[in-house]
Amino acid sequence: MKGFTLWLTGLSGSGKSTLAREVEAALLERGCRVEVLDGDEVRQNLSAGLGFSRADRDTNIRRIGYVCRLLSRNGVVAIAAAISPYREARAANRAAIGRYVEVHCDCDLETLKARDPKGLYARAAQGEIANFTGISDPYEPPEHPEVVVHTGREDVETCVRRILRTLERLGLVPGVDAEGYRPEEEAEIARRLEDLGYL
Amino acid sequence: MPMKVLILGLDGVPRGLLERLARAGVMPSFARLIGEGTLHDLRASIPEISSVSWTSFMTGANPGIHGVFGFTDLVPGTMRIRFPRFSDLEVPTFWDRLGRQGLRSVVLNQPSTYPVRPIPGALVAGFVALDLDRAVYPARHLARLEAMRYRVDVDSRRAQSDRTHLLEELEATLAAREAAVDYFWTEERWDVLELVITGTDRLQHFLWDALEAAEHPLHERVLAYYRAVDGLAGRLVERFRAEHPAGRFFALSDHGFTRVRQEVRLNAWLEAEGYLAFQGEERGALSALAPSTRVFALDPGRLYLRPASEALRTELIERLTALGFGGEPVVRAVHRREAIYHGPLAERGPDLVVQAHDGFDLKGTLKADSVFAAPATMSGMHNSEAFLLADHRVGDNLDIAEVAGHIEALFP
Ligand SMILES: Nc1ncnc2c1ncn2[C@@H]1O[C@H](COP(=O)(O)OP(=O)(O)OP(=O)(O)O)[C@@H](O)[C@H]1O
Ligand SMILES: [Mg+2]
Repeated sequence: MKGFTLWLTGLSGSGKSTLAREVEAALLERGCRVEVLDGDEVRQNLSAGLGFSRADRDTNIRRIGYVCRLLSRNGVVAIAAAISPYREARAANRAAIGRYVEVHCDCDLETLKARDPKGLYARAAQGEIANFTGISDPYEPPEHPEVVVHTGREDVETCVRRILRTLERLGLVPGVDAEGYRPEEEAEIARRLEDLGYL
Repeated sequence: MPMKVLILGLDGVPRGLLERLARAGVMPSFARLIGEGTLHDLRASIPEISSVSWTSFMTGANPGIHGVFGFTDLVPGTMRIRFPRFSDLEVPTFWDRLGRQGLRSVVLNQPSTYPVRPIPGALVAGFVALDLDRAVYPARHLARLEAMRYRVDVDSRRAQSDRTHLLEELEATLAAREAAVDYFWTEERWDVLELVITGTDRLQHFLWDALEAAEHPLHERVLAYYRAVDGLAGRLVERFRAEHPAGRFFALSDHGFTRVRQEVRLNAWLEAEGYLAFQGEERGALSALAPSTRVFALDPGRLYLRPASEALRTELIERLTALGFGGEPVVRAVHRREAIYHGPLAERGPDLVVQAHDGFDLKGTLKADSVFAAPATMSGMHNSEAFLLADHRVGDNLDIAEVAGHIEALFP
């Protein structure tokens, strides 16, 4: 199977890491080789020392994109979960990687502030964090993402399913039963239902 | 102490039968559980068939939300039917929802979960699962299940002519299910463990007469099956209470059962009354219907109007309500879609749903040309009278779609 990159972009707390792990589990189950590059983790090693200026953010995204490209061309599904606020940096990755699927994790600020799993929004509101995306730093939403998930009003399963369906539709991962039952299976189901008087 | 929940599904067992067998000493474990806990009436879904009712149970939602209206569903905007799949569900199950809190469910022989998809935990699909290798998640359990000769279902075709063979298969299948529960009990980490026994439904379809009549040659053998089910339930509950003294236990059925006296073939009635016509000699499929057809039925009592019209609905409700057999009324209720289905997918449902009085088994077959017929091979039919048994009082006037919410509420 060919590799590709699934790129999750969105504000902090919008669900990128959560969905990355869920999609990873689903793809492993289908026999794919998968690697998740999570922004938090990357900033502790590959991008250690980088800050949150536009230049540093772009460098971070370029580095993640570079690793995704290497993985993708070696048959691995690379899943990136990083805020990646700038359109230009994302577009450069898309162009370099080729088989690239962008997921916009869209969530309203109200919900994000209420969730605030890392307490970052509270600290940003206190002015403790400068350059906080969505509050004091820009976020440029994707214009043509392959998938939009509304994590503020859709549950995790719904979002995961939409992502998987899109990957199936794009022919990037095998469908579990994307086209429904095979004709001989339909015939067998019909027979069993008939035997119980349901047809 | 962490909350744990044990759920035992008894497919098709009506409340009245459970009480009767408990009282008669056939099901002593259930007698004790009923005495210690609360036995509730539980309303099955409409229609009262397993695919709809179990899906309502596992999603905690109405068909207008989960989108399953029968064993077959009409492809919207067409005259084609399809068999719903687990992946069609547009909403999560309660196992998925509990998974968000890090809780895991082990679910065995749950009807209408084929082909399996991952859930937080483990899932072995029940009817209408075909291949075990698409019925087991995670797949690593497959080899063990095969080794214990685990089977999804009995051979219902052979059951039509060979009741003894049916009973042998039911017994073997039940034993394999118990082996599977024992295996998963320790092999998987779980917070909710659910087992559905579907053999009760199969037995009741084919052997309701033997269950009711003491003089039936298979009566004792049939009771022995319920005794075996009761023994399994007793062992599970005992182990559960020993290991999880603060845990909660539930048993439930997805619909009830009663004796069938007459099959009522709604399409034959519609044809006789001029609502439905075939193009030519050929019968049996929706594709054989003439364009002049205004109403057709899918099993058991789902009526679809082409085009939908309120005047026609009113007319059908009046005429069906008046339908009689041997001086007895046949139809208990005719529901308008919007009265029973709520949610974004309600529009996909039938325009009307007919429910019959006990004894009259509504059929959606397109092959029959007479409206009434004595049942050919089956002596039992479904009704709405399911049960919920719990070790605590759950509520009044319960619908099967409400059970999941109660279970979820046990996990704060
Ligand atoms: N539909 C959904 N999709 C994803 N997460 C959801 C959804 N609904 C609720 N959540 C919750 O929202 C939170 C999202 O947090 P998560 O760490 O995944 O965000 P993130 O985008 O990775 O944030 P960050 O950029 O700070 O790493 C989790 O607590 C998750 O359970
Ligand atoms: Mg994250």
